[in-house]
Amino acid sequence: MRPLDIYEKDPSKQVTIYFEGTPLIAYEGEKISVALLANGIRWISISSEGRKRGAFAFGPALVKINGIKNKDARKTKVKDGMRIERQTYLEYQESVEVDKSKPPEKYVIDVAIVGGGIAGIGATLELQDYLTVALIEEKGYLGGDMRRKSVPVKKFDNKEAKEVVKDLVTKLNKNVKVFKGTTLLGIYRDGNLFLLSAAKGERLVEIYAKKVILATGAVDNFMLFENNEMPGVFRRDFALELINVWGVKPGNKVAVVGRKPEDIVPELERVGIEYIIVKNPKRVEGEESVERIIDIEGNVYEVDAVIMSDGRRPDMNPITLVGGKIIFKNGAYVPVKNDKNEIIEGVYVAGSVASLKSHYANYLEGRLVARYILNELGVGVSIQELKEEFEKINKEIEEPLPQIDLSKLNLEETYICGCDVTLKSVVDVVNGGITNLQIVKRLTHLAMGFCQGRYCLFNGAVIVSKLSGIDMDKIDLPTARPPLKPVTMKVIGNE
Amino acid sequence: MSDIVVIGGGIVGVSIAHELAKRGENVTLFEKRYIGSGSTFRCATGIRQQFGDEANIQVMKRSVELWKKYSEEYEFPFDQTGYLFLLYSEEEVEDFKKNIALQNKFGVPTRLITPEEAKEIAPLINIDEVIAASWNPTDGKADPFFAVTAFARKAKEYGAKIYEYTEVKDILVEKGEIKGVKTNRGFFKADIVVNAANAWAPLINIMAGIPIDIPIRPYKHQSIITQPIERGSIKPMVISFRHHDAYITQTHHGGVIGGIGLEYGPTYDLTPTYEYLKEVTKTLPQIVPALKNLRILRMWAGYYAKTPDSNPAIGRIEEIDQLYIAAGFSGHGFMMSPAVGEMIAELIIKGRTHLPIWWYDPYRFERGELREKAIQMG
Repeated sequence: MRPLDIYEKDPSKQVTIYFEGTPLIAYEGEKISVALLANGIRWISISSEGRKRGAFAFGPALVKINGIKNKDARKTKVKDGMRIERQTYLEYQESVEVDKSKPPEKYVIDVAIVGGGIAGIGATLELQDYLTVALIEEKGYLGGDMRRKSVPVKKFDNKEAKEVVKDLVTKLNKNVKVFKGTTLLGIYRDGNLFLLSAAKGERLVEIYAKKVILATGAVDNFMLFENNEMPGVFRRDFALELINVWGVKPGNKVAVVGRKPEDIVPELERVGIEYIIVKNPKRVEGEESVERIIDIEGNVYEVDAVIMSDGRRPDMNPITLVGGKIIFKNGAYVPVKNDKNEIIEGVYVAGSVASLKSHYANYLEGRLVARYILNELGVGVSIQELKEEFEKINKEIEEPLPQIDLSKLNLEETYICGCDVTLKSVVDVVNGGITNLQIVKRLTHLAMGFCQGRYCLFNGAVIVSKLSGIDMDKIDLPTARPPLKPVTMKVIGNE
Repeated sequence: MSDIVVIGGGIVGVSIAHELAKRGENVTLFEKRYIGSGSTFRCATGIRQQFGDEANIQVMKRSVELWKKYSEEYEFPFDQTGYLFLLYSEEEVEDFKKNIALQNKFGVPTRLITPEEAKEIAPLINIDEVIAASWNPTDGKADPFFAVTAFARKAKEYGAKIYEYTEVKDILVEKGEIKGVKTNRGFFKADIVVNAANAWAPLINIMAGIPIDIPIRPYKHQSIITQPIERGSIKPMVISFRHHDAYITQTHHGGVIGGIGLEYGPTYDLTPTYEYLKEVTKTLPQIVPALKNLRILRMWAGYYAKTPDSNPAIGRIEEIDQLYIAAGFSGHGFMMSPAVGEMIAELIIKGRTHLPIWWYDPYRFERGELREKAIQMG
């Protein structure tokens, strides 16, 4: 077993990869980032400003593969003999490979569902007997946050979360075209239809649909403390995926930080990872990767990984991309929707992108939205019973605002954005009298990088609100623009 | 002292307010959103003197002097990294030879260079079919947002009042004299009004009830930006008319910014289009092949406020005492703005300016005297 393997992997799939010249064991199907971590390697890339970076906090995870620069270690799978090297974010590949690209795959279907989590699956199951469905999921697996968990879910007969997903997925029928590993890039109106543009690896996919359901989920809150982006810091969702999808542990001795330790702790206990909960983290330190964490009171804890478990908030980028409006409610920005969960004509929301609630409520909401659409498209189905059940269990989760004590942090070493934007640069601009987040964004480059603000805009809004006294609901949040996720020019521009 | 009101907080309005305040005038600027929120920060950073007519060359020569002066004094990035027009046919070369001769006459040091020299200036470009290039090393680029905020800050220091989120709803004119402007936040006394609303200028003209037709219409243009790469990878603004009027350069931050001339309109819609995204990603790598490997981070749209001859309307509206206009910049207003600020300030204070403002006469459309079309690109 490799240093951080939780269990033995299938030996018939074993391959050898090289990192900075050292041979390492990997298994077919693994992502580079996962295989390197299993071997204990956390520092894999170098930021624009020369900071050491891993693959599980924020910012891109760019590496050189077989001499080709600017490849994504989170998306590329290992191959036998692969040579991987570190690079800085600014290195790019000048030579152009011989063009092997094919024209876009095109599909015409009834309903396109973006997001293969529990809400998307629920909606698909309702629709598939009557209509054709495209289920688009960026990850290589369906189930979203539930697939990343082993805890039992009461409302689903007390079955393990990931088992619930597996059972439901077997029920998908031939009316469903599942697009795994497929990243949504944009949604455009095309006459009476919507055109969804997506990238499946290096191939462009174009899906024409009558209706769209955004079941795109929530994103984890990113916490602000010193060196919060260094290798060895993990977002909760990445840590869960490592444990439950890949069978790899984030570390041998882990510090859990954030206001929701209960969202990760049972999973750590289940696989026997030693952990300590550290309230009020001030700073993490280490040579190449996390070696210790220090809290505000000055207590030092020796650990090899830090997991941020600080709750989630709906991802507003897909909402604003299609022209949906947002409001601030229960501590989060959420989409404005009508009583059928429609945000603009023909585009619906379901699951935790609509509001934060339990897995089961998200599942029911997916099914409910599907029934609204069935009725819209002339398939009469009953709504009442499902609606009542949903309304009975739907308790929206209130997210408290992060308490950021600026006086206790070295702001120059605290990162608000993965693209080398320090908390200091944002605080300076706001203290300089600029309280408009749109301007803060342009002056600091906050939210102008790889994630389009998915992991930093909320904190930016909190800082502006805190320093200026402007209410969160009065802050003008920037609108997401295509492409929703970064994509190389050759993927789109090749016909 | 007169109360001067400038309508529009883009780079042009802010430059005008800055020049007036610097000269001690009492100036108030109204912006319906926030400073720089219109076409200014949607623009692609380019500043060039390579035009095809005497007036624009002279104005841009002055503008570049001011860009240099103010960027040093106010500490915002302006890099004189040049403009490189790639030429692919004998006809293009002949046209550019004429432009270059005219530019040289006014002291702009443009020259015709070989494809190999072009490649030395911008090593990433593909010169396979390039037969020559027009090169002026004193052209450059500036960060629109840093520039507009710097000018606004200085304008305030000189005493200008800047009201953001304040939309002008009406202009009060009595017997041909301006009395004031009505906004969503109240009424303000004004003796002099400057319309610097560019794409929205026609609406302001209607409020003032001007008796002449100044045909300015908004057109949707789009741009893209890539992930940041090593700084200095693409120093100049590279232009190719052959490729859909393409432009490509690298921003101060490191991202490669670029676009093509695919235009929609007239429209006030700013939704990015898929057609554009496909076209631009197919086209730009033909000029810089390495772009194929770069990730696009964002695309966006902004207005070109176009006139029939792609030259702005800058001047005084005679029938209304005292209304001025500086609008309709047709895609090259950012680069012109410091000189426009100077022209309008001089016109208001002295009644005349040393720059050839007559070329931009707002009455030329009515008289049917369209100018030679200004080179509209970047």
